[in-house]
Amino acid sequence: MRPPSPSIPEKDFFFSALDQALRLDGRDFLEARPHSLSFGAELGHVECSLGKTRVLAQVDAKMVRPEPQRPFEGLISIHCELSPMASTEYEPGRQSDEEIALARMLDKIFRRSDTIDREALCILAGERVWHLRIAIHALADAGGLLDCASLACAAALRHFRRPDVEVVGANEVIVHPPALRAPVPLALHHTPYCITFACYRAAPEPSAAAAKGAGAGTVAGQTETAPRVLLDPAGLEHRLAQGMLHLALTPQRELAVVHKAGGLPLAPGVLMGAVQVAARRARELEAWLDVRVREDWVRKKVEVR
Amino acid sequence: MSSRIEILNEGGFRSDGRRQYELREMTFDSTAQAGADGSARVAHGLTEVLVSVFGPREARVRAQTLHDRASIHVEATIAPFSSTSDRRRRGRGDKRTLELAATIKATFEPVVQTSLYPRSQIDIFVHVLQQDGGVLQASINATTVALVNAGVPLADYVCAVTGGVHAAAPMLDLTSLEENDLPHVTVASMPRSGHLTLVSMETRLHVDRFEEILRLAGEAGPVIHKEMRAVVRQRTKDLLDGMGKGLRESNPAEAMIEDE
Amino acid sequence: MPVVLPGEVIQTQHKTIKLGPGLQQISNPEEKTAMTVTRAGTLEQNAKGNQFWVEGNSRRYVPAAQEPVIGIVSARQGEGWRVDIGYAHQASLDGLAFEGASRRNRPNLKVNSLVYARVSLAHKDMEPELECFDAQTRKAEGFGELKGGFLVRCSLKMSRNLLNPNYFLLPLLGSRFPLDTALGTNGRVWISAKEVKQIIVAARCIEAADPDGGGMDQNAIKKFISTLDL
Repeated sequence: MRPPSPSIPEKDFFFSALDQALRLDGRDFLEARPHSLSFGAELGHVECSLGKTRVLAQVDAKMVRPEPQRPFEGLISIHCELSPMASTEYEPGRQSDEEIALARMLDKIFRRSDTIDREALCILAGERVWHLRIAIHALADAGGLLDCASLACAAALRHFRRPDVEVVGANEVIVHPPALRAPVPLALHHTPYCITFACYRAAPEPSAAAAKGAGAGTVAGQTETAPRVLLDPAGLEHRLAQGMLHLALTPQRELAVVHKAGGLPLAPGVLMGAVQVAARRARELEAWLDVRVREDWVRKKVEVR
Repeated sequence: MSSRIEILNEGGFRSDGRRQYELREMTFDSTAQAGADGSARVAHGLTEVLVSVFGPREARVRAQTLHDRASIHVEATIAPFSSTSDRRRRGRGDKRTLELAATIKATFEPVVQTSLYPRSQIDIFVHVLQQDGGVLQASINATTVALVNAGVPLADYVCAVTGGVHAAAPMLDLTSLEENDLPHVTVASMPRSGHLTLVSMETRLHVDRFEEILRLAGEAGPVIHKEMRAVVRQRTKDLLDGMGKGLRESNPAEAMIEDE
Repeated sequence: MPVVLPGEVIQTQHKTIKLGPGLQQISNPEEKTAMTVTRAGTLEQNAKGNQFWVEGNSRRYVPAAQEPVIGIVSARQGEGWRVDIGYAHQASLDGLAFEGASRRNRPNLKVNSLVYARVSLAHKDMEPELECFDAQTRKAEGFGELKGGFLVRCSLKMSRNLLNPNYFLLPLLGSRFPLDTALGTNGRVWISAKEVKQIIVAARCIEAADPDGGGMDQNAIKKFISTLDL
């Protein structure tokens, strides 16, 4: 059974709060929920939370024979699982539309944007390459699942290290166990961060509150009649959104994915304003992730004398 | 990802002889399928898409009806013979076709005035017949014309165009050869307001370059819009001619159309 | 009160006892009265010691007769409506179960509107039924459609806490600003106040005080309110 759609009072209240530039959880329009990471014992095992949304990402690598068309490139596959555990909205069995959309977006963000250097995954041309398998499990969905999943995925890729290998002679491969030789981090070209915005139609009359909201941080180029754009929508904000905009950016101000499929039409200026906000946030996330991953690596390191 | 083919030569010509901002030839055929309530076959150069629209009609599956508006149902198929590189048969579960369908559905949901037809369904069938870059662009343009032909009320036209960047030089309407090598963006805009309903990009691009393409695509929208309007007007005129063969002199509606 | 877990056996001297949720009587060859616990929680009993129940916290509502609930109208059905009350099945609300309703003059509820109603029938083999009046007096007694305001979702324990007149939260909020509430036992609370801000504060406080969420006590909530913009 599908959960009931938001009731009329909930909907009305949400929009009247929006008219006064208020969000239900007290955030500013361009404020995201708090995020946190916890690393598992294994390398490449990361649990990420964004507000009440939680995602588990796990990276592992195994040796396989490369595809005949691409003998120098490793393989990467991303698997997503949205089980009914995450939210009552998901049903067991058949892949839901949300699951397909999530898998496609993660595929675009991490695989098609060339995040991972595939040639660096090659061990022996045409014979042996690494196959990276990224498994994403949604543990709880309270909105913003894609953002959380991509952050978890980015963290897992940074955290993961593959065993060191050595090629001896023509086609003999030696895998050094992590206890003997330090495992090698993946060669990543860049790390994209996915940032989601929800858009709502402009207030019927430009209210005084909208002007007040400008101080609280609105997207640049957002005038009083422009649609309202919220960063990191959660719960009711997600379900009542009139348009969604997903942006994946690298900290170097490069867009990896722009996905705005339908929904509320946006003026180019508003879109670019959102891009600038996202670029700033991507930089912040990068700095934060860097520190967290390094902390964990230092903690894990065992000195051998 | 560099190819051996020169994307843009020193004279400023692309591999098929076009200039940077030049669009490929567009053909719109709005009489493509007689059985449908509205249909269109749209070609951008060698990319060709056929779209048929049925409805608003009673929904096949009662459970899918919405009590306050019409539901839009999109089904896309990519013909196995449509491209030279990838001749596989794509079944119903194929992710790429599902995504194409989902994108078209999401693009048209806010544009079609669905609240006029509660509890009914509008079916849109998209067939990709030939691919040479810009499949999404052609599908959206074809769907717009097909919906107009079917008489489905729309808030505005939706005009889509693809843009790409080659070594800091932006270009429009990419062929598949260019699409494979360049970062590209598909933008669908509503020409009346200039607002964007769809922006989709899957390859890495710097924010500043992206802004440039967005601006260019915004300029290309009205051009495509003009072509679409001409086709719709011609079709309306043909219908009127067929209706009132003997009444030509005394038909004020026709005079109005010729006026424009 | 002792914490009990499913499977525990409790014995009592009383001959005639009444069991509430979470307990099941077991037949005992000896003369003693015994019961097993079927839910985790704290074991509660009345002053006389002949009524027992387990107080726990869950999120899924199971209707019991006479409990007030807040429902969302999900569809019209013949003379009445189908209402979502957070249970596994939809409840039905008869069009005539309102104060002053007659065949000619029935209230008009839209799909997705909120109703405050009482469970009039709760049986495991039947769909639950709701009513928006007192069946004896035929007066509304506060039940009916809820207009405006906002719906807050919380755990079942929290909604029972709020119904307890000795619980600190609502008086505390009431001392700051006037507010209307409708409390459903199905983990839904409706709040209405003059300002949007006040409703947001109330909603966030309920979430913060929920034993299933923030779990703040009175002092923590007081501090929390002072950090909010009112």
